[in-house]
Amino acid sequence: MTDLSWLTVAEAAGLLRARKLSPVEYAKALIDRIERHDAKLNAFVRFTPDLALEDARRAEAEIMRGAWRGPFHGVPYGLKDIVDYAGLPTTAHSKILQANVAAADAAVTQKLRAAGGVFMGKLSTHEFAIGGPSFDLPWPPARNPWNRDHFCGGSSSGSGAATAAGFLPAAIGTDTGGSVRNPASMCGVAGIKPTYGLVSRRGVLPLAFSLDHVGALTRTVEDNALMLDLIAGHDSLDPGSSAHAKSGCTAELGRGVEGLRIGVIRHFYTRDMEADPEMTAGIDAAMRKLADLGAEVREIETAPLGEWVACNRTILTSEAFAVHEKWMRERPQDYGALARERLMAGAFVRASDYVNATRLRRTMTDKFHALFSGIDVAVTASSMDPACRIDDPKAIEYTYARQARAPFNVTGSPALSVPVGFSKAGLPLAMQIVGKPFSEALVYRVAHAYEQATQWVKRHPPVE
Amino acid sequence: MEEPSLTFDEVKRMAEGIGMTRLTDEHLQQLLRATRVAQARRAALPVATLGPADEPAHVFRLAAEDSR
Repeated sequence: MTDLSWLTVAEAAGLLRARKLSPVEYAKALIDRIERHDAKLNAFVRFTPDLALEDARRAEAEIMRGAWRGPFHGVPYGLKDIVDYAGLPTTAHSKILQANVAAADAAVTQKLRAAGGVFMGKLSTHEFAIGGPSFDLPWPPARNPWNRDHFCGGSSSGSGAATAAGFLPAAIGTDTGGSVRNPASMCGVAGIKPTYGLVSRRGVLPLAFSLDHVGALTRTVEDNALMLDLIAGHDSLDPGSSAHAKSGCTAELGRGVEGLRIGVIRHFYTRDMEADPEMTAGIDAAMRKLADLGAEVREIETAPLGEWVACNRTILTSEAFAVHEKWMRERPQDYGALARERLMAGAFVRASDYVNATRLRRTMTDKFHALFSGIDVAVTASSMDPACRIDDPKAIEYTYARQARAPFNVTGSPALSVPVGFSKAGLPLAMQIVGKPFSEALVYRVAHAYEQATQWVKRHPPVE
Repeated sequence: MEEPSLTFDEVKRMAEGIGMTRLTDEHLQQLLRATRVAQARRAALPVATLGPADEPAHVFRLAAEDSR
């Protein structure tokens, strides 16, 4: 039998459905791996092996009697700890919510449970999905499986670390300014921020209502499409949920990129910010590979990265402070230093600045979407730098802002981070593939063609 | 237009004005830095490109059932 740690969702689903793999044995193998190695990585805030075995036994009984529910039946998953699982605390990795027990499942949790998934636990996050990596919280920060002295990205830190480390084949994260794609980039896995409104945010602690997205982290592009297919869909109880019919995310996998038009937003990482040369070289090589595969690749221009970031952060901090103002008055000392400072940026944003940022959001987004009349997908950097050391606050502060993810929270576009290689130090490099709203299937098609033509996905971090 | 630079005492008064009275000096230093960052972001917003009729990205919208 293959090492179960590295099974993809698609591979596991095939084996489980054919009764060649027991959900209980699969869950036990991953439980054993987590017990042996998570003390080094801190991917979990709350590890729940008993619940996992309960789910796995139920899945086994159902599959044995021929009642297979779909690709996630018997497959382990984890939830970022701002996503509710009924009966368990949703802590947001914060002292403030240590006793905050969820009364009901989040919408995505409901879908994963209904699909027969095996819940392994709640995963580390930056405090309130904004403050990290921090060493002044009730739990330590997650670390990078490729080198545990390095940052694993955030705020969906545990989701990235656990997936990359072979603890789980799939995890749920959230993304308001890049928080799915940052850990995906740093940990060398696939991470999608889907179209705004495609996945319900019900039962997910908000950071900034108009920018929050729930997304998926997996080791392969196909698995990512499978997970998004499961969690997408309209939810009348989420005011931001789109009524747009969801399309099959896996529908275009395997169709290649022949004839597709790819626009590279190179100025984000060469002019507006200067990315680390290894990152630029990795993205350039990926563009040559996609051109070799038959895509038409050319540069495109949009608004300067700094304007996108100013728009994102003005909206984000204003909305976030509205959520946190009461706690900032009553319990400021209970925040970690990073979350407190980053959230305080919203305290004195003028109402007109917030409104103007949302007005700019509309005009900038309209112009960005107009670019798609001449291209099928856009590509740009995710992080400007490989993961820095986790114990170097200056490097964390410097690299935290050096990213090109926030523009696509502003536009609401689907944006997928995929690995494009490794630095000389052995740390992952990544690019983003961005589509028109609700064009996830096309984004996955491009990413899948690239992934299949390279070998990055076959490398695993040295967790042992 | 360049923002006048905020001082510690000013930000302390502003914080007290919105009920944030439990901040330590360390917290107030954080608030001062954070507010300066927010002001720099405001300066980076290209608001001069907006016309009077440019609407915010999200406007109030009633669902059909609200007419019943």
